[in-house]
Amino acid sequence: MRAPIGLKISSRRRALGVSQAALARRAGISASYLNLIERNKRHVGGSLLIRLAEELGVELAELSGDSEHRLIAELDEAFADPVLAGVDMPASRDLVAQQPAAAQAIARLRRAYLGATANADLYADRLRTDPLLAQLLHRILSGITAVRSTAEILEDVTDLDEGERSRFVETITRETRGLTEVARGLIGQFEVDARGRRTLSPIRELDDLIFERDNYFPALEEAATELRAEIEAIGPFGEAALAVGLAAKFGVGMARSAGREVDAAGFPGQYHFNTATRIMWFQASAGAATRQFQLTRLYAELSAADAIEREVDTPQLSSGTARRLGYRALSSYLAGAMVFPYGQFLADAEAQRYDIEALCQIYSASFEQVAHRLVSLRKPDDPGLPFGFLRSDAAGRLTKHFPLPGLPLPSAGHACPRWVIYGAFRTPRTLTRQIAQFADGSRYLFIASAQARSGTGFADHAIPTSVMLACDVLHADRTVYGAGLDLGDGSTDVPVGPSCRLCPRRDCADRQEEAFTPAGEPAAVRAPLVPRRFDVGEPG
Amino acid sequence: MAVDVLIAEDEPSILKSLDFILRRAGWSIEAVTDGEAALNAVRRSQPRVLVLDVMLPKRSGFDVLKHIRADAALRELPVLILTAKGQAQDRRTAEELGADRFVTKPYANAEVVGAVRELMGLAPAVE
Repeated sequence: MRAPIGLKISSRRRALGVSQAALARRAGISASYLNLIERNKRHVGGSLLIRLAEELGVELAELSGDSEHRLIAELDEAFADPVLAGVDMPASRDLVAQQPAAAQAIARLRRAYLGATANADLYADRLRTDPLLAQLLHRILSGITAVRSTAEILEDVTDLDEGERSRFVETITRETRGLTEVARGLIGQFEVDARGRRTLSPIRELDDLIFERDNYFPALEEAATELRAEIEAIGPFGEAALAVGLAAKFGVGMARSAGREVDAAGFPGQYHFNTATRIMWFQASAGAATRQFQLTRLYAELSAADAIEREVDTPQLSSGTARRLGYRALSSYLAGAMVFPYGQFLADAEAQRYDIEALCQIYSASFEQVAHRLVSLRKPDDPGLPFGFLRSDAAGRLTKHFPLPGLPLPSAGHACPRWVIYGAFRTPRTLTRQIAQFADGSRYLFIASAQARSGTGFADHAIPTSVMLACDVLHADRTVYGAGLDLGDGSTDVPVGPSCRLCPRRDCADRQEEAFTPAGEPAAVRAPLVPRRFDVGEPG
Repeated sequence: MAVDVLIAEDEPSILKSLDFILRRAGWSIEAVTDGEAALNAVRRSQPRVLVLDVMLPKRSGFDVLKHIRADAALRELPVLILTAKGQAQDRRTAEELGADRFVTKPYANAEVVGAVRELMGLAPAVE
């Protein structure tokens, strides 16, 4: 039930202390006509309503009832919230008509509540993934455990002797003092992080999608099985059969030449597909693994665009850019699933103890292609070893990642300089391994290899990228990379962090920048030899 | 010499109270503060129950549990896992590795005593 427009006009007019005649004159109508409007005997709308709203100094929507509709809808939603289950709320319409200010207040509180809930989710997510916060949280839980348990003893055990009693009281005093410090640190953390970003970047949206799906896409696996069968009907899966299949099914030709070519957008590359001439071009230096994989991808994109589109068509990818990135990532996924059929590849991986180079041989594939496929072996009833994946360019910037539960892989920027993903650049094409230990004692096997494309000439500097796989040290004995290592002995582990900003290790000689520390801790990186105070409040 | 309960916990205050409440419940106790020592003590003292913290120096609680379950002589040892993070992932890992019971920090003392009692094969105490 809307409050009648006439009633609203007259009550607003009276509130302003304006006579009917005066308002009518200003709005360009007769006083008797305004009288009819105010008594709801005449309909009012259009330009006259706009003029009246202006003269009365109110929003048009307020007079016409549009804002009431929005408010009613908002209250309907609010009253449907499970939080209010069992509370006998009035009808939204009645509340808006009779108590508009209270209705506004409820709507505003609801908006604030939704915002706060979203914020809480954000922080909960941070607590799960941020090692520094996780460490603080661990200390808090330990402290509370000790205090609670000790307090229970003091309360429940009536026959404690004086020595025991005072020792337990000391424990509580010591632990609560420690907790106070930790709590201060935690508050410092959240003050720093309060300016959190709310909008997600396209790449982050894609990450979230892939992570939520556990990097396993059953529909694409199914499509891959069918498409691979089509190729295998021509001959053994590989470049030759793919070329025949592309020519027969899609009229696509293949060309290889020395030198440089650019694609339609002007980007140079080792390969591109010209949609006008339907020629897939490869630079002569492009390796067999690249040719096989890109031909497979082309076959996949031409055959199964709908299947890929269906995966990308999700509200999680909110922009065109995010969907383009998603499409590209999932066409790679589909190609990977075709080159490395799930069951067969998993069996080979187990038989070879996840020896990546041995798998490269079997599948005529590159290190990165195999590593990438290993990470997608996440079929719920038939999973492979859980690996995390990370790729870095030569500047140390992380360009691709898939995290492991528990292992915080930075999604962008830099990782810890001690990680073998960077060490691998020193010996390209040689696989390097490392047992890395984080400050919380968790240990991971890291294996990495840096690979570059072949250069096309002396002036063409082919810059390598490094790819790293990580697995919990508990599973390292199932891989060939655990061989010869005493996996239980952590004494020679490399002490690492996620990245300097997130790392609590104060004693690290390789630290490049300060950690996000709670307020008040001394900054030790790049300090002068002779301590000085640079700021009021900063300890020298 | 066989003990009833072996506690592997590195936080001194928590260890002190665990030691107290389990002794008071009538069991003999041995305590260690790192994972390496825990494995040695399990072999040497043949406890009836192991109370094992997840976050231990030298070897993690997970690693200790994995070794115990892989060793034919120790496989049957009932293990109570103390997890501080209280996170689902920790619990899943411990379940996969064969933990028998979990207590999440911060706990009530009665929870620990009750869980140990159950692992000993005794009926829970009447409250």
